[in-house]
Amino acid sequence: MDILYGLGHGFGVALQPQNIVWCFLGCFLGTVVGILPGLGPAATIAILMPLTLNMDPAGGIIMLAGIYYGAKYGGSTTSILLNMPGESSSVVSCIDGYQMALKGRAGAALGIAAISSFIAGTVGIVLLTLVAPAVARFALSFSSPEYFALMVFGLSLVVLLSGASLLKGLLALLVGLWLSTVGIDLFTAQSRFTFGRPELLGGLDFVVIAIGVFAIAEIMTTIQNRAEGRLIPVPKGFRNLLPSWEELKASRFAFVNGSITGFVIGVLPGAGSAIASFIAYGIEKAVSKRKEMFGHGAPEGLAAPEGANNADTGGALVPLLTLGIPGGGTTAILLSALILWGVRPGPLMITESPDIFWGLVASMYVGNVVLLLLNLPLVPAFAQLLRVPKWVLFPVIFGLAIIGAYSVSGRIFDVELLAAFGLLGFLMAKLGFPSAPLILGFVLGDAMERALRQSLMMSQGDITSLFQRPISLTLLIGAAIILILPMVGFINRFRVRAISEGA
Amino acid sequence: MKLSSLFAPALAVAVGLAAIPAAQAQFVPNRPLEIAVHAGPGSGNDVFARALISVIEANNLSPVRIQVANKPGGGSTTAAAYVASKAGTSNTLGVFTNIWITDPLVSAEATNPLSSMTPLALVIREPGLIAVKADSPYQTLGDFIEAAKAEPGKLSQSGGSVLARENVLRQLIMMETGADWQFISFPSGGERLAALLGGHVDLMIVEPGEAAEQVRSGAMRVIAAVSEERLPTFPDVPTLTEAGLNVPNLPQIRGIVAPPGMPAEAVAYYSDMIRQATESQQWQDYVSENGFEAAFTTPEETSAFVAEYTEQLAGILEAAGLEIVKR
Repeated sequence: MDILYGLGHGFGVALQPQNIVWCFLGCFLGTVVGILPGLGPAATIAILMPLTLNMDPAGGIIMLAGIYYGAKYGGSTTSILLNMPGESSSVVSCIDGYQMALKGRAGAALGIAAISSFIAGTVGIVLLTLVAPAVARFALSFSSPEYFALMVFGLSLVVLLSGASLLKGLLALLVGLWLSTVGIDLFTAQSRFTFGRPELLGGLDFVVIAIGVFAIAEIMTTIQNRAEGRLIPVPKGFRNLLPSWEELKASRFAFVNGSITGFVIGVLPGAGSAIASFIAYGIEKAVSKRKEMFGHGAPEGLAAPEGANNADTGGALVPLLTLGIPGGGTTAILLSALILWGVRPGPLMITESPDIFWGLVASMYVGNVVLLLLNLPLVPAFAQLLRVPKWVLFPVIFGLAIIGAYSVSGRIFDVELLAAFGLLGFLMAKLGFPSAPLILGFVLGDAMERALRQSLMMSQGDITSLFQRPISLTLLIGAAIILILPMVGFINRFRVRAISEGA
Repeated sequence: MKLSSLFAPALAVAVGLAAIPAAQAQFVPNRPLEIAVHAGPGSGNDVFARALISVIEANNLSPVRIQVANKPGGGSTTAAAYVASKAGTSNTLGVFTNIWITDPLVSAEATNPLSSMTPLALVIREPGLIAVKADSPYQTLGDFIEAAKAEPGKLSQSGGSVLARENVLRQLIMMETGADWQFISFPSGGERLAALLGGHVDLMIVEPGEAAEQVRSGAMRVIAAVSEERLPTFPDVPTLTEAGLNVPNLPQIRGIVAPPGMPAEAVAYYSDMIRQATESQQWQDYVSENGFEAAFTTPEETSAFVAEYTEQLAGILEAAGLEIVKR
């Protein structure tokens, strides 16, 4: 009853006309920055934060949070249309989303992304509403060995992301793991693989690598294959721009999977939404009856990760609002905004600032509806983008890619790196190396290494500590099963046949 | 000093007219002022810079617009290189902290030590609080140190980089008492806090603002204050000295640095601007709300402080086993 009463009170706050306006404005801005690669929600919120200080705190946090979850909606757009992930959580959406666009289902892909985002985003908030305090305790029980096991589990998904050659997938993964070690090591303050370049001290940026090996490499491959004249078909008619009933039906498990996986992983302060979307994709493919479709435009292969990265927002707010612990860059900024308004997030927030807590939660229900209404009508418009002739579209993508890389930290060095990674991605594509494992290794490698070293320090060098904790043991066994199964000869032949039949 | 000798003729005239501020009036910024910050939007330094800017603007202390330039990467290295690249100009400043001193000590790639630029002013010092989980068996810092002596290496502390103050302080306490415990690095403040509240580490050093809510909600207990005097917000918590430790109180500082070779008039102008901002009521409210200590210094005092503090930190890091590549 307390929850219903609180939520009712929250809707009283969220449905005040000015707060609906703030919510709409936040969602709109979020969608825009989500679409633009390079400009992220964290920077946008930080820039707008001083302007909100004179606002009513409830309206202010409603708007800033709208930017946060709105950006997740927008993030998939460039992944699907241009194979250009704007943030780490939308990388996985490239895999099947872009393939759908190549098959003329761009509108359907955008539609599925929006619907999946809506469903999972809403489920994430329902879970935030109902189980926040209990789940917060679960988040705190996760220590470094569990994080290590979670990252290993994520890395084992390389098996499912590799395509025909597992060996090539593993090699790409190793390159990704190596790239994640570049920069100053937090534990020793030593620089690794920086070759004396101060620009490399901070490590490589995800946006630069992902745009390079996905978007730039894709353009170069297409240009080289010009003789084939591969044009992306965009069917006419409004009906063909929306997901078909079959596509939605194929995604029905993905909606659930993405919602739950995204929320559970989102709750963990040290995990991040990229791993949530990778694991949701892995689960989806592992249980699918048509694994061969994945990587060739399976709608459920888009719906699962897209859902996961939206449910992740609801999860990430759990430790922030109930424990005062921010899980990532964007939630850390929301925390500083709340503190500037004089609201202290923590166990006492629900009882002491019910207007803010319940107002924010209720506004997120409203916000998800706003985002669906905002995004669905845009689908046909965005899908038309692919009608633009290539001699216009490609330079525009190049321009966007360069702006995205440059805006990471305003250095031309990142643009040079972008060119290098574009070339690497092109060569990998030519030689049949998949690029998703490279990104997987890069995104998870740093966190995995850190968690391993933390675990070993905590246990004073005793590696068995990793296997003595139930959650980490379970995850490590799961990873071992996923890794070993395809190595067993006949299963692997079966797997290869299934994939080549699909291709 | 070189600055004052360059400045002397103008100063003589100005003193003759009995109006020292006239010397400052010679320089007025005519382009937007940029303040470089070594961390991303929303980080402590970013919030600090934006707070300072809003106070300057609220008091009409700057005729031009001021904006933050976020230059993250390599600790302070990218931002320091950026400020250094503006040598001789008068439209860029930077926010410096302790790592602007420590990064160049241990990293060969960090080629712009604070002493090679123009340190303008210290603005605040941040006290720290040594905290344990609320149900921890350690009631005092002494309890923790005894336990860390009894089982060397078994207890642990969560923190950030090994160069951060929290680790330097740990080294000092270990050297002073002979105790031994681990320092486990976590990249974000949230993860450090989660590790403590989850009971996975035994100790951490937190900012007073961050600790207040956790203490009030009964999740955390504070056992010592890293400050010269007891903090007004935590009057019952003893300082390190009161806890019986003979270790220097290493301040966590935030200050403003200018590029190398900024013209003396501009240096004087900005120093004066920062002084006026820090004297305002809004700034004093900001400082006390966050549990900081005001610490305004002149450019000369700041340079002297930086030189002395660099030597002190280099000595401690070296004793802790880090390789000092240059001083």
